[in-house]
Amino acid sequence: MTTLPTQADLHAPEAGLPANVVRPIDQSLPPMMERVRVYVWEIPVRLTHWVTFAALVVLTITGSYIADPFFFTPGQDTMRLVRFIHLVAAFSFVASGVLRTYWLFAGNQFSRWSAFIPTNRRHLREVVSQTQFYLFLRKDLPGILGHNALASGTYLVVFLLFLVQTLTGFALVGIHGTQPWATLLGWVPSVMFGEQGVRVIHHLLMWAIVAFAIHHVYSAILVDHIERNGLMSSIFAGSKFVARWRVIEARDGGIALDSLVSKQDDDESRAEALATALRTRE
Amino acid sequence: MARQDGLYSALLARGITRRDFLKFSAAMSAALALPASYAPRVAAAVAAAPRIPVIWLEGQDCAGNTEAFLRASHPTVAELVLDTLSVDYHETIMAAAGAQAEAAMRGTMSTYPNGYIAVVEGSVPVADGGVYCTIGGKAFSDTVIEVCRGALVTIAVGSCAFDGGLPGAAGGPTGAIGAGHAVPGAKVINLPGCPMNVQNLTATIVHFLTFKAWPATDAMGRPLFAYGQLIHDQCERRAHFERGEYVTAWGDEAARSGWCLYQMGCKGPETYANCPTARFNDGTSWPVKSGHGCVGCTMPNFWDQMSPFYRRLPTVGPFATDTTADQVGLGLVGGVTALTAVHAVGSYVRKRRSDADARAELAAVSAPVAPPMADSSARSDSSTEGRTDR
Amino acid sequence: MTRIVVDPITRIEGHLRIEVEVANGVVSDAWSSGTMFRGLELILKGRDPRDAWVFAQRACGVCTTVHALASVRSVENALGLRIPRNARIVRNLIAGTQYVQDHVIHFYHLHALDWVDVVSALKADPAATSTLAQSISDHALSSPAYFKGVKDKLSTFVASGQLGPFANGYWGHPAYKLPPEANLMAVAHYLEALDWQREVIRIHALLGAKNPHPQTYVVGGMALALDPNSTTALNARGLSEIGELIKGAQAFVDEVYIPDVLAVAGFYKDWAGIGKGIGNYMSYGEFPEDDSGEPTAFYLPRGRIMARDLGKLQAVVQDSVAETVSHSYYTYDGGDATPRHPFDGQTRPAYAGPKPPFETLEGHDKYSWLKAPRYDDEPMEVGPLARMLVAYASGHADVKPAVDGVLGKLGVGADALFSTLGRIGARAIETQVIVHRLGRWFSDLTANLDTGDLAIADGTKWDPASWPAQAQGFGFEEAPRGSLGHWIKIKDQAIDNYQLVVPSTWNGSPRDAKGRRGAWEEALIGTPVADPAQPLEILRTIHSFDPCMACAVH
Ligand code: HEM
Ligand code: HEM
Ligand code: NFV
Ligand code: SF4
Ligand code: SF4
Ligand code: F3S
Ligand SMILES: [Mg+2]
Repeated sequence: MTTLPTQADLHAPEAGLPANVVRPIDQSLPPMMERVRVYVWEIPVRLTHWVTFAALVVLTITGSYIADPFFFTPGQDTMRLVRFIHLVAAFSFVASGVLRTYWLFAGNQFSRWSAFIPTNRRHLREVVSQTQFYLFLRKDLPGILGHNALASGTYLVVFLLFLVQTLTGFALVGIHGTQPWATLLGWVPSVMFGEQGVRVIHHLLMWAIVAFAIHHVYSAILVDHIERNGLMSSIFAGSKFVARWRVIEARDGGIALDSLVSKQDDDESRAEALATALRTRE
Repeated sequence: MARQDGLYSALLARGITRRDFLKFSAAMSAALALPASYAPRVAAAVAAAPRIPVIWLEGQDCAGNTEAFLRASHPTVAELVLDTLSVDYHETIMAAAGAQAEAAMRGTMSTYPNGYIAVVEGSVPVADGGVYCTIGGKAFSDTVIEVCRGALVTIAVGSCAFDGGLPGAAGGPTGAIGAGHAVPGAKVINLPGCPMNVQNLTATIVHFLTFKAWPATDAMGRPLFAYGQLIHDQCERRAHFERGEYVTAWGDEAARSGWCLYQMGCKGPETYANCPTARFNDGTSWPVKSGHGCVGCTMPNFWDQMSPFYRRLPTVGPFATDTTADQVGLGLVGGVTALTAVHAVGSYVRKRRSDADARAELAAVSAPVAPPMADSSARSDSSTEGRTDR
Repeated sequence: MTRIVVDPITRIEGHLRIEVEVANGVVSDAWSSGTMFRGLELILKGRDPRDAWVFAQRACGVCTTVHALASVRSVENALGLRIPRNARIVRNLIAGTQYVQDHVIHFYHLHALDWVDVVSALKADPAATSTLAQSISDHALSSPAYFKGVKDKLSTFVASGQLGPFANGYWGHPAYKLPPEANLMAVAHYLEALDWQREVIRIHALLGAKNPHPQTYVVGGMALALDPNSTTALNARGLSEIGELIKGAQAFVDEVYIPDVLAVAGFYKDWAGIGKGIGNYMSYGEFPEDDSGEPTAFYLPRGRIMARDLGKLQAVVQDSVAETVSHSYYTYDGGDATPRHPFDGQTRPAYAGPKPPFETLEGHDKYSWLKAPRYDDEPMEVGPLARMLVAYASGHADVKPAVDGVLGKLGVGADALFSTLGRIGARAIETQVIVHRLGRWFSDLTANLDTGDLAIADGTKWDPASWPAQAQGFGFEEAPRGSLGHWIKIKDQAIDNYQLVVPSTWNGSPRDAKGRRGAWEEALIGTPVADPAQPLEILRTIHSFDPCMACAVH
């Protein structure tokens, strides 16, 4: 049986932190309260995020035109050009998606596939507490450095939407007999209520993605502004700025800790486990 | 059974020259997308063919395909009926009625087992024991099984016989299905359309006479020579589509200039058929040529899938509500925006409260104090700090 | 008393079963049963009213286009739309062409075999046939060689043993009266008419993309673009093609159809006393010739004749139409015997006949998929005869002399019109009157285009957002087989209720709540039946109405 951590333990500069991801940036606070810089988003994550974003802007504008051609330039093949751009953007979108998919397996713990799927009970519990937090049913939150449990679930859905959007998009290309899509995706209309079904789904998904983007951007700004945790800049520069004790506590803050705490059932026992963990480090 | 002189000699007898006949054969080869070198073979095959018995059944139909058949021009219906086929049963044109009509059908079935063509026009109502269509007191759903099972091939003409068509559309109470569905296992060639283009029927028959085989079909049993390509990709208005030049009101300048009907709901971009090239009524016209969009009448479940006909996309919902994809999408976006806004206000209020708490806490921890995680209430109060939810 | 069942009645559109009782060689009672139901009125519910015509048109592929017209009219009536002049004339041209083509097909391909013995034609002398043909018409195809060719072809055909559609006909039946030469001439014209109908209907393709089921109607006008000087619209070339086709149609009707009808009728004058029917006749009127929208502008007038009283023309208003279902396979809220006006019409299928397979409908109170429409509670006969009688009674400038001329040529009085033969004659007269009127409408169209008026649709109410929350309207159309009405109720831009009351529903109606027969049933009473095993005479009277069952039940 070991003793509780001492004040000194907690004031030790690197106490309980996975050394490779955390750098202290501010020594004016007690070490546990001070903000540290955490490198969360690696380059491929940031790159694909912005390529995807750019492609989606283009796809949404050109897609809306295809759906309802509201203007044309006399003498120009306006629709042909718009559809061409839509397809170029579609290919960029797909390329970005392929890279991001690769990174699901090659990236750090914040961008791995496991960050999107509740793989343990703690993660699942966080889905509940996160929902309660959003509904103003609870004030506190489990700490997370990467995606929170709800956001990651949303991203999972969004990734699926992207996939279906890509399938329907290329199925629409295939409807014209364009190979290889006609052969590869000839089955798509039959599972989507026919050719018109494919179009409607493609069209509806655009709206779903736009709705997600509004929520996503809005809350990025909101969270960043209110929490001042560097969320906005993180997707540009890669790092977040978080209180030290938060990093220690966070599910994805230290994988070493995770294996221990995830077995616990409630906040109290989790806190105890954390304390135990800190003690055993000594 | 005595065999007839072939079509060729019959045509000669009607004063039709060999040149005309070769022209017909060439036209048929073209319809079937055969190389021109096939024309003599088509000619020879058709000329030598005996008259194939046909039993033409009508179920839940409007006789539109029968009328289309009457409009056949290459060969004409007279040539088809008198020289190429032996239409032994066809309620709309046959002389016999009642028991005598029924006897004509039975006679053909027993004289030519597996040697006659069954043509089915109209859908087959299978609900409630087949009471929605009876002929001679028998349920049509039984007759169609009997006749098609014993046939060389079943040709389902029109969309009703293809997949239930109009009677099978949402709201229809009769359990209407297509012939292929009603007679599982039967060899069925589908010629959807409302009605079918008769040129595709004659070409299908000529293909059989020429190659002793039925034309290649797609997964839905539609001959590829007729249903292999998108209308949109064969349309004479396609250049206007590419340009972005669309009709936006009936009878406007754009309509007179033959601009694209996409904005008026044309379903050419989702419909497979050869209407633009085969055209109707001896090649006179087809819907888009005359100014109205295609309604997709060769496609599965077209009454529901392709309607509303004047909107590009179907409405969303179980059936036929007037909610469009855009309305759903805008609703979604509006809803999300509203929720986000409400949430933003809530978060702002919470933030102000917890900021105050945090300030108090900060004052408390400036002097060395117990670690936050050892004190769960303190942790709760400062919980939003470092939160990374997105 | 013998019960005779004829099912299927062939050479009509659709599925009709006739049961009759024969006593002393004549029909003493009759039941007309429509045996196929699709549920069009149910399928239309909830859909976009602008789409309705595409669906409704599929009520029938034979009298194609008529339901399209009634449908767009009903929506236009509900929305208060008035269509441009060009659209009105184009619609007349399409509808008029339908009359002409439909009537000629009916005579040669659906009805003729009741009067013409194909097998007897084999005994004809081609030279005598030529003489006969030339004595009644200037039609070019009338040489002995021509008729010999037809006869040879027929002989080869019959000798093949594969009689195709002519197998099992009632050939040799004592009721066939034509000499072999007349039979051979009719067979030749049967074949010619097959070619002719295919050609003349190209007018529909030029104006409406295709036939059957033309595709250029829109609520508010037509989608067809008209511009004599455009390469893409219906231009001067297309128009002149229509002009030529109309001329060809006129020639065939004048030189072949009318002389044939007169010739055949001459041998069957006894049929002017058979098939009298109800004696009430109705026409909604058709072919608006100005843009007022008023029935007074119709070329064929609106009106009603009761109890064969040609001296008294009565009014027709839509409110007086109602249907009961006492003997039909439906149920009504509030009782099957309570007449329902179409605005409140209900379509609730409830089959109550015998379970198939069955031998007879005897003993079943309900026996048809047709409802029983009544005007002011009275059964009506509709169709060419009704239209010609209404026009005749109104002193119509073209119809009256035409009717009098035919009556004179046959040497019969006006009473002869109320009969099986009268229906055939009226249909022929109407065809001739309309085929010539087509020329007039055609020149109206070109004259109007000449003024530079190219308008073809009124788009002011195209957007459903511009509609009131609720609206209702009706569309009348005189179809080839008679008075057609569509009633629509629109709610929140969708169809709330849609009801069709169709010519063949009027004529083929089963008994009503009061037990009164419909027109076919009534006309069969008194029809002779020489041989119950070969009910040729029943076909004659039924065919004289040109039944259409897909229409009637829908
Ligand atoms: C990812 C691969 C994508 C491909 C290959 C693709 C391809 C296409 C194609 C070919 C069309 C034309 C449909 C036709 O004319 O028949 C189309 C339409 C459209 N696309 Fe995409 N697209 C893709 C992604 C997206 C995305 C991500 C969005 C929006 C966020 C989008 C929005 C639209 C819209 C709104 C239409 C018009 C649909 C209609 O109303 O018919 N597309 N797309
Ligand atoms: C100004 C615009 C945007 C900002 C500042 C932003 C910011 C971010 C941030 C901070 C994350 C990490 C999320 C987390 O902390 O859990 C993220 C992830 C993500 N964002 Fe955005 N975003 C923006 C626009 C968009 C748009 C328009 C889309 C697409 C519609 C999008 C799609 C995504 C997706 C799918 C992820 C998950 C990323 C991954 O793990 O690869 N973002 N974004
Ligand atoms: N009855 C009927 Fe029709 C007609 N004419 C129409 O409304 O036939 Ni098909
Ligand atoms: S497919 Fe169309 S034309 Fe053919 S029977 Fe059905 S409704 Fe009539
Ligand atoms: S008119 Fe229809 S089929 Fe033709 S190009 Fe336009 S959308 Fe395509
Ligand atoms: S509506 Fe049908 S007829 Fe051809 S153009 Fe379209 S498939
Ligand atoms: Mg009705």
